[in-house]
Amino acid sequence: MIRDPTAVTRVLFEDFAPAAIAAFYVVAFAAVTVFCFGVYVEVRKYRRGSAADVDGRLLARFQAMIGTVLSHRTVAHRDRAAGAAHRLIFYGFVLLFLGTATITLDYDLLGPLFGVHFWHGAFYLWFSLVLDVAGVLLTGGLLYMMYRRGWLKPPKLDYTRPDRQPGDPDYDRSGYRREDWAFLCTLLVIVATGYLLEAARLVWLEARPDVWAYRWWSPAGAALAEGLRAAGMSAAAGGALRTGLWWFHGLLALVFIALIPFTKVKHILTAAGSLLLRDPLAAQRLPRVPEQQQRAGAQYITDFSWKQLLSLDACTKCGRCHEVCPARAVGAPLSPRDVILSLREFANRTLESATLPEQAELDVHGKGPGQVAMETLWSCRTCMACVEVCPVAIEHVPVIVQMRRKLVEEGQMDPQLKRTLQTIHKTGNSFGESKRKRAAWTKALPFAVKDARQEPVDVLWFVGDYASFDPRNQKVTQGLAWLLREAGVDFGILYDGESNAGNDVRRVGEEGLYEVLATSNIESLSAASFKTIVTTDPHSYNTIRNEYPDFGGRYEIEHYTTLLLRLLQEGRLNIARQLGLRVTFHDPCHLGRFNKGYEAPREILRLLGCELIEMGRCRANSFCCGAGGGRIWMPDPVGADRPAHNRMREAAAISGLQVYVVSCPKDLTMFEDALKATGNEGRFVVRELIELVREALAHRQAQGAPGVAA
Amino acid sequence: MKVLVAVKQVASLDEDFEIRADGKDVEADFLLRDLNEWDDYSLEEAVKIREAATTPVEVVAVCIGPDDADEALRKCLAKGADRAIRVWDDAMLGSDSIAIARVIAAVARREQPGLLFAGVQSADHAFASTGIAVAAFLDWPHAAVITQLAYTPGAAHAVVRRELEGGVLHEMRIDCPAVLTIQLGINTPRYASLRSIKQAAAKPIEVLAHADLGIADSEVGEGGSLSRVRRMYVPEKGRAQMIEGSIEEQAARLAQLIEERAGGAA
Repeated sequence: MIRDPTAVTRVLFEDFAPAAIAAFYVVAFAAVTVFCFGVYVEVRKYRRGSAADVDGRLLARFQAMIGTVLSHRTVAHRDRAAGAAHRLIFYGFVLLFLGTATITLDYDLLGPLFGVHFWHGAFYLWFSLVLDVAGVLLTGGLLYMMYRRGWLKPPKLDYTRPDRQPGDPDYDRSGYRREDWAFLCTLLVIVATGYLLEAARLVWLEARPDVWAYRWWSPAGAALAEGLRAAGMSAAAGGALRTGLWWFHGLLALVFIALIPFTKVKHILTAAGSLLLRDPLAAQRLPRVPEQQQRAGAQYITDFSWKQLLSLDACTKCGRCHEVCPARAVGAPLSPRDVILSLREFANRTLESATLPEQAELDVHGKGPGQVAMETLWSCRTCMACVEVCPVAIEHVPVIVQMRRKLVEEGQMDPQLKRTLQTIHKTGNSFGESKRKRAAWTKALPFAVKDARQEPVDVLWFVGDYASFDPRNQKVTQGLAWLLREAGVDFGILYDGESNAGNDVRRVGEEGLYEVLATSNIESLSAASFKTIVTTDPHSYNTIRNEYPDFGGRYEIEHYTTLLLRLLQEGRLNIARQLGLRVTFHDPCHLGRFNKGYEAPREILRLLGCELIEMGRCRANSFCCGAGGGRIWMPDPVGADRPAHNRMREAAAISGLQVYVVSCPKDLTMFEDALKATGNEGRFVVRELIELVREALAHRQAQGAPGVAA
Repeated sequence: MKVLVAVKQVASLDEDFEIRADGKDVEADFLLRDLNEWDDYSLEEAVKIREAATTPVEVVAVCIGPDDADEALRKCLAKGADRAIRVWDDAMLGSDSIAIARVIAAVARREQPGLLFAGVQSADHAFASTGIAVAAFLDWPHAAVITQLAYTPGAAHAVVRRELEGGVLHEMRIDCPAVLTIQLGINTPRYASLRSIKQAAAKPIEVLAHADLGIADSEVGEGGSLSRVRRMYVPEKGRAQMIEGSIEEQAARLAQLIEERAGGAA
């Protein structure tokens, strides 16, 4: 038992001259002042951004953010080792911070103000133990991170930029690398000197039973002290070492605190802020352009919202977005990481000064340092892989699309894209076909498809451009019509009342045309009578589901995979034979990552008796076919690798693969091309899920259905 | 200094079109309308002159046509025209390209431009005469099928380049004011975003009738035209026929046909 609990505590300023103590407080206050000034400068920087559309459910947001931070869910996402190491650093740092705050509370606040002291006795001993363990955790985490950077060297931590040439001033971002090491080393030195200081203090006070008898409550410090004593250190030497280390450790820690807002350490604040402001539909539902706004899109750094400016500062260069980006993977001049870092550097240069520079200097478009080139912006597939993987909720896609809007206003785009947009404006579809031909695919069917504008239907089928006009996809479209009829579904289409849904037009950045398309479709839909919408096209699915509500179009919509699954489960479609195929499934970005439709297609494949072998990159980590974000309307560079080819090679590595299954019309087009281009024709085939379902039902369609080419 | 750009809202045929009951045109429902492609280039050339100028330049687009031609003018306004004029009234229906040119010339007399641009031709009727006829009415110099233009606003003349047959270039100096008909490819027309077209809707389009320009009723419409459309029709398809049957049957039939034709010629 402790004889006198108040005596069991830690000496703080013992043996210090009053002037030394005063000097310490001056330095401490100076450090806090510098910290506060830094925070002020950063907040002023964010406030120079435009208004942000953040809903006010602050409590729910706060709870979610705390949950994410404490669990480290997003940091451990697809990188468990880094997640574990960061967890050690985080909890170590938080405990040590709380420990220091406890001392301040006892010594500087409650003590002097109210004469209350609690930092002693059993509480103190447990405090010592916890903080000693925290130091070990922190050290472990830091050492692993050093090992990772210094020896493992994962490619995602290579800061070399795909959007710059060797020799450009910011080509390899070596400044960041130095900062990373300075950060790790500084923290490690602070912890190490903390332990050494503790050990020196124990040696110095070895004669005091209130200290020495309880030394093992600080196990690491005590072990070190035993070591020092064994090496022959005297109490006096311990005292001298303690004084020196006390100042070194204290000043270094204070400098660290002062520098938080000026270095990457600020992510402890900005990452939390970014997570707090997260928009769960950031890529799925792009921001509208206010009616009164003169300019569309982001041209100046101040056109980004304060929330976006804050999230730029949250980036820790973990490189996960860089790693998953399909454009980067095929050598395009885009890395989501570098877009974010460029804009951050630009914002720091222009918005941290006391007064704003003139507007011309705020233009973020171009090839200068911190600017983003149009080639970079046009390389994006808006596949959302970067947004999904980002541990600190940075929303790259809206940033890129907002910058594209400005390029579209100026006509700075690929000529083929320009023509396609004009075609869509003129004819309502990207194929330049007459509106009247939209339902031409129905002519090959031996039954009439209802016109939902003329008679009420249960299910309105929004067909989409590719499924309507592309000859290969028309066969699939006819196949689904067969299945729906077979299952007795009362369905209809909009005929020439349907226009391109606009999902990709919006992601290109042609917001005006998107508004025209969305409004026109909503008009057609309101003139029709139906209960739910089904679509074969994940792109249409996304925009109708997530974006049409902003334009007054609220519908219940599903992708055909969930409808077919239900029809199969309810026995309205009966499988005649198990296919017994060895297949893999490609999650379309807009169905999977965007709208979490992972299960239905897999469940259908199971019911069909297929053996599903997953590719390494599946579900939320699915790899874009390269067609998204309007890229399907832009030529890929001749000779360069393409995302679809990259994906085909991944699939081809599955031994004995028979069918590469897709559930998106654009995927069918992209991957059938890629199959030939990668020389895999004849080894396996690309099939729409609809085609496999028809094959499994084949016997029932002997009554006149055209066979599925397999 | 002012550049007057004459533009036309042209029609292109939709799938499976039908001819109007009077047989003189395609049924309007089957026409897709858009700004004439050549005019897109001439407007761009005018806007480029303004953008490069150190003195004020005004780009005015003029179109002869009914209400729906406003769409073409709005596109011009979106792409950078400062002003738009549309001339139309019911009496003008049936005007041929020369009568249209007479109206454009009247607008030019009112506007007094330093240069007047027109496309080489329109994509639908392809008379390639309107621009040149305007020059005749105004008694201005003209040059056709321009592929390059050098002009400083206010200068007494412009230097133009034209492409002739056989890859020969023809460079000429022309006194201003002048009428130039612009060829495709002279520049890269800018993209008019839907937003800019929408915003252009706020800019007014001045609408005039022929009388406002001091043109007599007898000078417009069918009455004021020296040519008239007789009919518009799709010629009958060629009379190819597939020869069916076995190889022997096909050969026999072919021999028979040759015999018939050759016999007929002999």
